[in-house]
Amino acid sequence: MIDIRELRRDFGGIHALAGVDLRIEPGERRAVIGPNGAGKTTLFNVLTGELRPNGGSIRLDGAALTGLTTWQRARLGLVRMYQRNELFDPLSALENVLLSIGSLGGAYRPFRSPLPAERIEAEEVLARVGLADRRSVTARTLSHGERRQLELALALARQPVVLLLDEPTAGMSPAETERITALIAGLERRLTVLIVEHDMDVVFRLADRITVMHEGRAIAEGTPNEIRADRRVHDVYLGKAVEA
Amino acid sequence: MVIRAAMVLAVWLALVTFPQWSSAWESSRFAAGIIRQVLIFAIFASSLNLLVGYTGLPSLGHAAFFGGGAYAAAIAAQRLGTDQLFVSLGAGVIGAALLALLIGFLAVRALGIFFLMLTLALAQMVFAIAFQATDLTGGSNGFSGVHRPVLFGLDLGAASDLYVLVCAIALSVGLLLWRVTTSTYGRALVGVRENERRMRAIGYDTRTLKLSAFVLAGALAGVAGALSSYEFRFVSPNDVALGTSVTGFVMVLIGGGGTLIGPIVGAAVVLLIERVLPSQLPAQTVLGIVFIAFVVFARQGIVGAARRLARA
Repeated sequence: MIDIRELRRDFGGIHALAGVDLRIEPGERRAVIGPNGAGKTTLFNVLTGELRPNGGSIRLDGAALTGLTTWQRARLGLVRMYQRNELFDPLSALENVLLSIGSLGGAYRPFRSPLPAERIEAEEVLARVGLADRRSVTARTLSHGERRQLELALALARQPVVLLLDEPTAGMSPAETERITALIAGLERRLTVLIVEHDMDVVFRLADRITVMHEGRAIAEGTPNEIRADRRVHDVYLGKAVEA
Repeated sequence: MVIRAAMVLAVWLALVTFPQWSSAWESSRFAAGIIRQVLIFAIFASSLNLLVGYTGLPSLGHAAFFGGGAYAAAIAAQRLGTDQLFVSLGAGVIGAALLALLIGFLAVRALGIFFLMLTLALAQMVFAIAFQATDLTGGSNGFSGVHRPVLFGLDLGAASDLYVLVCAIALSVGLLLWRVTTSTYGRALVGVRENERRMRAIGYDTRTLKLSAFVLAGALAGVAGALSSYEFRFVSPNDVALGTSVTGFVMVLIGGGGTLIGPIVGAAVVLLIERVLPSQLPAQTVLGIVFIAFVVFARQGIVGAARRLARA
């Protein structure tokens, strides 16, 4: 379980996170929605340790994450997918995934060749995200949608306990959105998924519960139906999305 | 793979036997000396390439480990009163590795241009120590009268024996680097070069990766430094100076960073320009022009350009 309490992060005078409380059960699919600048990506960056919080605490299964580096959190199973693609551009799709798998085992052993088993596993992960026939294409030459799929493959290959998805369908065509949504919906139920997304169809389809953020705070939380019916949520966010 | 290994072996055998099959040529001995020096600098440039080409760490202080290894080898042999190869070479490698651990510990905390400036500044401190610790290093006069090593009972004093030693060590270092760069560790170094942030996000301790590469590269530069002390029987502050760091960097860039063969080609080109060009031509100017030409027209170096031509 993830237990976030009173999490704060300032940028200059701006309270990007102004005391966020969030509890997410194991295996839960939780969406975080809110207008631009509500603090969603900052929340992710603080969760993964890429940004330091100004206050508050984060616990994963009871263990405090405060003070742990990004790579230590990744080794505990807290793995993210980036909003803007962060890939290894000149390497092939397969090599990208192999790097992610390699971090599970002997990354620091200079005399060990990549194991055949790792290669098979990498191909399986690529097949899962629908990139099986693109394995030898360099990340740079993949289409935008395929790069998003590869982003997800890198995260999945790391065998996460908690998967953080930052706008997984951003910039995708309807067909690509459909494919990646189905993919996320089909992930094992034991996996906890925290997802930031602007596409409300995707959010309502995937989420067990939804948290609404506004100006650095979680202002509402509930099931998709409860959130749909919440007046405040309509005022700050949903109304706009529906009108647009 | 097998073909490539056979080719490397064939080239190496041709190189090792060069003094024999070229003995009728009047410049044979001069050429053998050039080959020795090319191989020594190829080891140096290859070790720097592990940082610059594979890990994406632009170190401008690599001479600290070349010169540091050379001093460590010479001083150990003198103080311990032995010419055993394993003593002086071992001292060169360990001395350079420890120095790299110290400098790397500070430098890998910085990124990009700051890493470059930090390696430069710390290497200049090593230079200042070499220059001023007259009792240990001979100061500005340098450390002269370095003995050529002995391998158990075998005296490697003759130039022809030193030639075989340099060829053997160059091959060993080449094989080691091939093994390291094709391992999971080598792939992880390339991952750091391409996207360090992403590497952390998938669970790599990138700081430790960078530091370990820095120490390994420093140790191998120490091998080159020890060989250089045998070759010239002399170590001077020049070996730890910025000029030597820059020479290594130029060799990597001209030859082609991120490839195993590139720094070897680069070392050959640079030394041929410096040592073989007719003395009427200003070697440093020619080298400068060649370097600028590569930076402007062929960023991938000779090997990169050749590969592109082969593909086209």
